[in-house]
Formats: sequence, C-alpha cells, structure tokens
Amino acid sequence: MNAPGATSTLPALAIENLEAGYEPGLLIVRNASLQVQQGEIVAILGPNGAGKSTLVKAAVGLVPISGGRICLYGQDITRVPAHRMVFEGLAFVPQTENVFVNLSIAENLELAAALVKADRRERVPPIYAMFPDLERQRKLPAGQLSGGQRQMLAVARALIARPRVLILDEPSAGLSPKLVAQVFDKLREVRASGVTVLLVEQNVKAALALADRAAVLVEGRERIVGSSAELLGDERIAALYLGRHTGKQAIKEAG
Amino acid sequence: MLQIIADGLIIGSVISLGAIGLSLTLSIVRFSNFSHGELLGWGGYLTLAALAMFTAVQAGLATPLGPFSFGWALLGALAVGAGLTALLALVLDTLLFKRLRKQGAITLVIASFGAALALRNLLLFWQGGVPQYYSQNLQIALPILPRSVWGGLRVTPDQLFVLVLTLVTVTALHLFLRHSTLGRSMRATAINPNLARVAGIDPERVLRATWIIGGLLAAVAGVFAGITVQLRPTMGVDLLLPLFAAVILGGIGSVWGAVLGGFIVGLAESASVSIVGAEYRAAAAFAVLILILLVRPTGLFGEKN
Repeated sequence: MNAPGATSTLPALAIENLEAGYEPGLLIVRNASLQVQQGEIVAILGPNGAGKSTLVKAAVGLVPISGGRICLYGQDITRVPAHRMVFEGLAFVPQTENVFVNLSIAENLELAAALVKADRRERVPPIYAMFPDLERQRKLPAGQLSGGQRQMLAVARALIARPRVLILDEPSAGLSPKLVAQVFDKLREVRASGVTVLLVEQNVKAALALADRAAVLVEGRERIVGSSAELLGDERIAALYLGRHTGKQAIKEAG
Repeated sequence: MLQIIADGLIIGSVISLGAIGLSLTLSIVRFSNFSHGELLGWGGYLTLAALAMFTAVQAGLATPLGPFSFGWALLGALAVGAGLTALLALVLDTLLFKRLRKQGAITLVIASFGAALALRNLLLFWQGGVPQYYSQNLQIALPILPRSVWGGLRVTPDQLFVLVLTLVTVTALHLFLRHSTLGRSMRATAINPNLARVAGIDPERVLRATWIIGGLLAAVAGVFAGITVQLRPTMGVDLLLPLFAAVILGGIGSVWGAVLGGFIVGLAESASVSIVGAEYRAAAAFAVLILILLVRPTGLFGEKN
C-alpha cells in the first residue's frame, strides 16, 4: 500500500471544514481545514487550548466529529472507527501514555504487527534496525523506559503497521532539547522512508525547523498557514508565543 | 496445622478462579461487577442440570473415575455448564451492561447489584433452596501424613483434583494472556483503552473475550465449590465478598495477584475456623485484607497509577 505514485495527485491527508468535540453542542474544533501532501512534514501550532490535540484525535476517530470530513488519498475516512484506522494506513501516536507500559518493548511491537495481521518476523526486524536502542532492551517493560526512549517506542510501534500517514500529538512533550532533536531526527528518517507526517507541537522553534509547512490553530480553526520559513518570520507568531495578548488579537484580526 | 493449610488451599482454589474473572472485568470493562458471584452459582447449577441429562442418556457415564467421586459425565457436564455460563455473561452484557456503558461506572455497579438479585432469585426459583450435590458417593479422605507430623494431613482425591485443575487452568490463562494476540490485546486494553483502539484493537471483541473468560472460570469455580462443599442458590452472594477481598488483596487487574489473593483469603478462612470458630470465617478475609492494604495500598501485585 506504500505506492505513492498512483495517488500522488491527491493530498495524503485532507481535513475539510472539520467540526469536532467530546460532547454534542460543545465544539472544540470549528471549521478547521488542512491539507497535507504526500511526503510532507506538516506541523499544527497554536496556543494552549486551541484545539490542536482535539483536531488530530478527531482525525483518527477518538473524538466524535459533527461536521466536515477527512480524506486519506481522496478516500473518505470520516466515519471509520478508531480501531480500523491502521488498516486505512493512518497511524497515531498520542501525547502521553503512548506505549503499553505493562508490555515489554518486544510485546508492544509484536502486538502491533499481529493486530494488522502481519508476520512479526517480517515487520519487527526493520524497526529494530531503525531503533537499535529498542532492540537492546527488548525484554524490558515499556513502563521502565526513559521519556525519550518511550517516545521512540511509541513512534516505532506506530510504524509497525506501515502507515502512509503518521500523526503525532506533541512528540516533544516532556523531553529535553537534546532528546527532542533525537526524536525529530527520527521523524526526518520516517519521512525519508516515504511516510507523510503530521504533528501537533507547542515547541514552535523545533517544529518549524522540522516541518515543511505549518498551520496555526486559534480557538478551534486554522488562522495562518504557510511554509516554515514564512512562519518563522511572521511577527504574529512571535507575538503569540511571547504570550502577548496582542498576538492572539493580531491573528484573530488577520483570520 | 498442615490440615489448615490444605483446607485453605481448597477454599482458595474456588476463590482464586472466581477472583480472576472479577479482576479482569474490573480492569477491562472497568466496573465492580457485583453479579460476578452469581455466575459461580449459575455455573454450578447449569453443570448439575447438564449432569442430569448426561446420566439420563447414558447412565454408565456416571461411574466414578478411579478414586474420584465423579465420572466422565461430570467432566462433560462441566464443559457444557461452563459454555452456558459464558453465554449467560455475554447475554447479561448485551441486555444490560452494554446499554449503560456510556453512563459511567457507578451506573454499571448499581445495575450489577440488580442483576445479582435477579440471577440469584431465578436460580432459587429454578432449583429450590435445598443444598444439592453432584454425587451421593462418599469419599474417604486419604491419610497423607500421620497425626504425629504437624497434626497430620488427610485429603480426598476430589480435593487434589480441584487443586491440580486450578493450577492447570491458571497456567493456561497465564500463557494465553502472555503470548496470544487476543490475550495481549486484553492486557493492552486494560492499561490504555485509547491507545489500544488506535493500535487496531476492536474494543468490543476484547470485552466479549473478557466476559467469556470470566464466565468460564466462574463456572469452573462454582463446580469446584459444588464438588468440595455443596451447591446452594446463595453460594454466589456468599462468595462475593471473599472474591472482592482476593482481587483487592492481589492488586486489581493482576491475574497472579487474584490467584495469590484467593489463596491468602482461603488460608485465612480455614485458619479462622480452627482458631476463632466458624462463625468468624467471613471476617477473617477482611482482617487480612486490611492488614495487607495498610502495608501495600495498591495490593500485592497492584501497579501504581
């Protein structure tokens, strides 16, 4: 399913006028739209409570969607239940609790392979080749891993299903700058292997250094979309992340 | 002394098998199922009914096997009774718990109280209140050790059968949870249901497996109670508190915790019978429970959360 040639004209992931929230009538994501092209890394930025996490959780089926649609290579996956998303080629790494802490590293990876009805002897070794630290500690319960290694395992676990699109919710959360750099380097490798990457980030600097493009989400809808270079020079972004009220104001006015 | 331990292990076998199912429901379906005890009672009586049918069709099947009080008929009836109990658990989930799952754990707990009352009284209506037995054959306890050694030890072949089959069942369950995809999916769902979903685990499938396994083990426990003691329609409610004590003692969600908790409660009950008298038997489990929770609030195998 990893042949991008046939479908490359369509966006890998298209979120169209999405409305979503945990409870009916209480929308957290309002009319958000975003396109991610095959082979891109795209970051979703925005202040706390902007609905970034809810947006990606809705995209993978964890939050009820009340309007709009989500397409994967042109195929509508809006109503696909969360546990069928891996079969559509969409994998998700949650922000916290993103590994099964009561299973060993090997069990986490073998389970991921078994769940997509794949042979673990075929799926697990390439992942160990990409994450040699994990192979060394494969018998260790995932709960005993450090934050950085846990994040690596979370990414590795998601990759076992050989997704076409990988979505990550704040992969830098709780990590030191050095570990963030390591995780982001790994995401560059992931992209190089042909997987399209969409990530939610608080860490604007690191995210813009990694991503090709970014979208800024304020109050549940996207306000600024552009290439990372454009956004790095954008005063409104600087203002927003220096915590000035004017930043949010400026973006609202612009949007 | 040794006799107390042996008796405790037999009581513990029944409690352990019941406690595993209760523990799995608590960690995977995420509520305290107060009707779980009734599954033990129903398992015992469904097996009794199946036994009557087996022996009606082929009386020879009831001929005792070797030193045991029961024949092939009971083993066959146990398979049928366990299957029907698993089915009962699934039906109960479909008719009741599944509809209330969105309302939260408290609603489910209260509903399970109601289900327990209904199931117990249906059982009473169906079978009457007089205690029943699988076999009228009397068994002579085998003297294993003379009185001069630690007070001596006498065990019936049936008791040994129960103990051995308990260990076999628990080991089989352990291997299933450890190595099979469905077993690993159950452990994954217990610890992190949302990640389990995005990893590709169908939550309904895991819930069904949990009810089936809980029902099968409850039936085996009920039949063991019937073999070693007797069948009573109130056996479910009588066993319920020891089951909860075992689960909490061992740590919620841990299979080995439930097994160990079950044996500890069994030993405490059997020790209390000879030390302070049978009327305090039920209190013994709770005395041990309180003592252990003072030292380890998460239970023996509980994970800090």
